[in-house]
Amino acid sequence: MVSQQAQAGSVGSADRGSAVAVEDLSLTYSDGTEAVRDLSLRVPEGEFFGFLGPNGAGKTTTIKVLATLLKPTSGRVRVNGHDVVESPRAVRASIGYMAQEVGVDEELTARENVRFACDAYGVPRGEREGRIEELLDLVDLADVADKRAEGFSGGMQKRLDAATALVHDPPLVFLDEPTTGLDPKARNRLWEYFQRINERGTTIFLTTQYLEEADFLCDRLGVIAGGELVADDAPAALKRRVGGEVLDVELDAGDRKRAADVAREARVFDADAAVEVTDSGLRVTARRAREHGTDLLVALRDAGFTVTGFDVRAPTLDDVFLAITGEGVDDLDEPDAVPEGEDR
Amino acid sequence: MSSETAATGESPGPGADRPRGGNSLVGDLWTNFRRWNVKAVRNPFVLVSSLVQPIIFLVLFTQVFGRVAGGALQGASGGISYETYLLPAIAIQVSLAAAITSGIGLVNDIEEGMFEKVLASPMNRTAVFAGKTGAELLRIVVQGSIIIVLGVALGATLATGVLGGVAILLVCVLFSLWFLAFSNAVAVVTRDQESTIIAANLLQFPLLFLSSAFLPLTALPPWIRTVARFNPVTYGVDAARALMLDRDVMTVIEVTRFGGIWDTLVPAVAVLVVLDLAFGAVAVYLLGRATSSDVQ
Repeated sequence: MVSQQAQAGSVGSADRGSAVAVEDLSLTYSDGTEAVRDLSLRVPEGEFFGFLGPNGAGKTTTIKVLATLLKPTSGRVRVNGHDVVESPRAVRASIGYMAQEVGVDEELTARENVRFACDAYGVPRGEREGRIEELLDLVDLADVADKRAEGFSGGMQKRLDAATALVHDPPLVFLDEPTTGLDPKARNRLWEYFQRINERGTTIFLTTQYLEEADFLCDRLGVIAGGELVADDAPAALKRRVGGEVLDVELDAGDRKRAADVAREARVFDADAAVEVTDSGLRVTARRAREHGTDLLVALRDAGFTVTGFDVRAPTLDDVFLAITGEGVDDLDEPDAVPEGEDR
Repeated sequence: MSSETAATGESPGPGADRPRGGNSLVGDLWTNFRRWNVKAVRNPFVLVSSLVQPIIFLVLFTQVFGRVAGGALQGASGGISYETYLLPAIAIQVSLAAAITSGIGLVNDIEEGMFEKVLASPMNRTAVFAGKTGAELLRIVVQGSIIIVLGVALGATLATGVLGGVAILLVCVLFSLWFLAFSNAVAVVTRDQESTIIAANLLQFPLLFLSSAFLPLTALPPWIRTVARFNPVTYGVDAARALMLDRDVMTVIEVTRFGGIWDTLVPAVAVLVVLDLAFGAVAVYLLGRATSSDVQ
């Protein structure tokens, strides 16, 4: 134990400044599934890091390794300077972890759930009651604090779960889809809180299904696909990567495939422009789409199509995602519930 | 473990300078012990299955079968009331039912995500399970006491007095451990609430009826006598009954070297200890596997 402590200490000093340091992490399940392959990742202290990827890309597996719930098959993983394999309890004490699946004891009241978390994380007795009130108030459960969680809706349980993950004011918090299923109001409150603790110095490692959320909150994004890190940059830099603007054209009827052919053959855009068929018409991603958009509309009208609407916009992270992973975010199941980051 | 906790204080980061309470082994034990006690009191299934049901058995069996059973008892146990005969068996039934709910509690925790949450916390894992088990054993003692007091009120005679009553509770605890281990093992293997309830409940009644619990084995068919010899319930009931009657009541193994009540208690306790260790080892192994971070 002594040597272990010494080792953890030396690792810590060599790695000061990194809340998360992952080197060549691979994890293969016993059925042969390679969930994560040669992943290297560094999250500096104080950063708001977003970890994105399609379902099954390895996000949750990676978070579980970082939270010491899964042992790496190979590679080195240090969290707050502690090796996750050699000193798992030191890692656990120094992090907050909010799992994707809600963890709430339904037979206990909201207050009792938070108190249990305080006990589990050794929050000093003197601070405990004030902390419980503060967190219940934050997640808007103060008025049902003494009601049992079994009667809570899914959203209320999710909020209670968020409160329990933050009891000990950890220097690093892992949030695995913390706002999934929440209404916009509850989501905004949590966002504000995450921003506030991040400004105070807490490192946040977040996964989310909502790209708006990642765009709004995160300093830097890592995109994982097929168990490998395929992009790692600031949201704005990633958006620049899409190359140009996005032009959406709405068509009232007719063969959209043929319309796409018209758009390609019209030669109004650069050769690397991307043309896709969408539900309502066409989407063209190209440099200077704003300038050449009119030419496309004319070409479409000449070919006999009726354009009912069009819109030119800067790329969103959805477009980034599509460009990088070749997949849409198929699990973006309630886009209407997501408030626009720009509105705030 | 303490050095690991100590190392936490050195963790770099903005939280490092904040005061931190930290965890102690006793604190972790208490935290989990308290949580499971609160849950037990609030869970109607736990209360009904491990207290109301045995009370119904005690009252109904003595009222309905009392006179019929009296005949069988005259030959075998000589002049004792059916209340006196049945009470130790009901005490053992309480242990059995309470042990079943242990595994169900674990499955619930797995399904509610609390199991993972606890594993992600810095609590000592032995303390987590010891606290839960402690709460369950306390429940067995409380419920066993209620049953004994109720039985005496209904007319049962406790020949060894209050001390014997305490000893019966100890037998209940000793008896419950193997089934507690079994129900947790089923829980962690199936990870499914219904399977755990079915597996444990399905076993409860055959175990009770194919033993010396309700009637003397001499009054039962030979095949039941054979099954009863290999049934742990027989040893729990016989030990509790020996304390109730203050005499050697064991018929499945003939022991004469210790004299009187000890001819039942010594072999019964020995059998239960061996069972507890065997089932306990399997449960500890399975729980260890389920809580390890090794990829499966």
